[in-house]
Amino acid sequence: MTIGGMVLLALSWGAIIGLAIFCFVTMIRGGKL
Amino acid sequence: MYIPPFREKWGSRLGVILAVAGSAVGLGNFLRFPVQAAENGGGAFLIPYFISLLLLGVPLMLIEWTLGRYGGIHGYGTAPSIFAVATRNHFLKYFGVIGIIGPTVIFIWYTYVESWLLGFTFHALTGKLMTAAADGSAMNQFLKSYQGLAEGHPFLLTYVFFLVTFFVNFWVIYNGVKGGIEKFSKITMPMLFLLGFIIMARVVTLGAPNAGHPDWNVFNGFGYLWNPDFSRLKDVSVWMAAAGQVFFTLSAGIGMILTYASYLDREDDVVLSSMTSVSLNELTEVIIAGSIIIPAAFVFMGPVGLVDIAQGGAFDLGFVTMPQIFSHMAGGWFFAFTWFLMLFIAGATSSVSMLQPAVAFVDDEFRLGRRKSVLITAVFCFIACHGVVIGLRYGVLDELDFWSGTFFLVVLGTVEAIIFGWVFGIDRAWAEIHHGADIRLPLIFRVVIKYITPTFLVVLLVTWTYKQAIPVLLMEGVPAENFRWVLGTRIVLVSIIISVILLVYWAWRGRPLPDIDIDNTEAEEEKT
Repeated sequence: MTIGGMVLLALSWGAIIGLAIFCFVTMIRGGKL
Repeated sequence: MYIPPFREKWGSRLGVILAVAGSAVGLGNFLRFPVQAAENGGGAFLIPYFISLLLLGVPLMLIEWTLGRYGGIHGYGTAPSIFAVATRNHFLKYFGVIGIIGPTVIFIWYTYVESWLLGFTFHALTGKLMTAAADGSAMNQFLKSYQGLAEGHPFLLTYVFFLVTFFVNFWVIYNGVKGGIEKFSKITMPMLFLLGFIIMARVVTLGAPNAGHPDWNVFNGFGYLWNPDFSRLKDVSVWMAAAGQVFFTLSAGIGMILTYASYLDREDDVVLSSMTSVSLNELTEVIIAGSIIIPAAFVFMGPVGLVDIAQGGAFDLGFVTMPQIFSHMAGGWFFAFTWFLMLFIAGATSSVSMLQPAVAFVDDEFRLGRRKSVLITAVFCFIACHGVVIGLRYGVLDELDFWSGTFFLVVLGTVEAIIFGWVFGIDRAWAEIHHGADIRLPLIFRVVIKYITPTFLVVLLVTWTYKQAIPVLLMEGVPAENFRWVLGTRIVLVSIIISVILLVYWAWRGRPLPDIDIDNTEAEEEKT
């Protein structure tokens, strides 16, 4: 696996996990889950 | 004066998010995405993929969630009536018939494939699957015999699994939105993630099991999928493949989410809920599915073998190649069982959502009540499914797959995007999206929803019509023995479309549009 592959994997996984965490945390903080 | 019928509501926000995520997460996430990525530039594919997600997938999700909620508060849950109410134009409702026919036709062939997954789950336990998988070419023969296309497997058993699958789907729908779909999703979606993580963990810890090829290891397997080939980004077909994958993976633009969202309350947040379901779909597709098939196949079959496998298509990869890979692992039967159970759950959460538009149409428009509506839909689907069971060898399934799973999807998605941004109007649309929302979308999405998404969809529609629909319409490449079956399938499809158009006409005969447009005030406020 090249450095480029690792960077793209990290960015993609990070964006998806980040979005999921943001959505769930916002919902929980809003008390709407 | 028209009085909207009483409609069910979701029990919780988590329930509706899991149900929509379940609708989106299907076989395509696990089988189609990894092959598409590996064949179209590896990591570089993710660039057009995420761009398409932002410009096409997310806007379409927002459109279906918002229009669905809007229709639901007026007492409607399917595309024809939602289009009529949202646009106050009676003619546009006839474009919405695709939003009922599309999901139902997908269900008709999808549920049969889903039943194979249940059968393979069973045979992973009996040992028959692993015996076939261990013997190279025998796995292909096992699949064909299971499908009734070759000798060796009792077709009665295949049929029993079909009946069980069919019954499970209708049982869930029969129990309603809250007591059926929501409860089912709350149990099955966590199970799906758990099973996915189990297989993912096994693949990630495979190391380099082939002592003769130490470079056939997991790290390089991930490299096969993720190492970017940026030169492929100059190829238009790579961008089209990425847009297509985003379109299919989210189940947006075919009317299923429209119907699910119609059971929301007026104050429910569609922005955050749709973003959460998108994130769960992407988690399954890019992270879980991307860590299973390609790395596992690379480790056991090497880079050259993997090219051959990928060319065999996503379907063979799931049913034939994966059992062969599991047969090389210690406790392979357990992972094969887990794999097929996971795919069955992914299929079931999707197929349930395909039924709801037809049930909601009968229930909302003719007020027959849920149970009668479910029974009518079940009788129709049961008869229609037998066309697929009997006509499998004559290409009926492939024919239905193309029209329902590809063509109808793009057509309805395009119609929805144009109606939402241009006929409903972007000011009302923007106000309606944000009603009850905890977060606000960046203003750039106004431009995306009004201009970019419809343009993107029209380009996709024209390209696919030119490249795929015209050759298919002219029956290019259809074997002579399949000709009558394919033609018969098309005649049945056209008859169904005409019948549903007549039903919509009948249901709306003399019915006025709702008196109050609840959103004008908000839209005016939004403008000022």
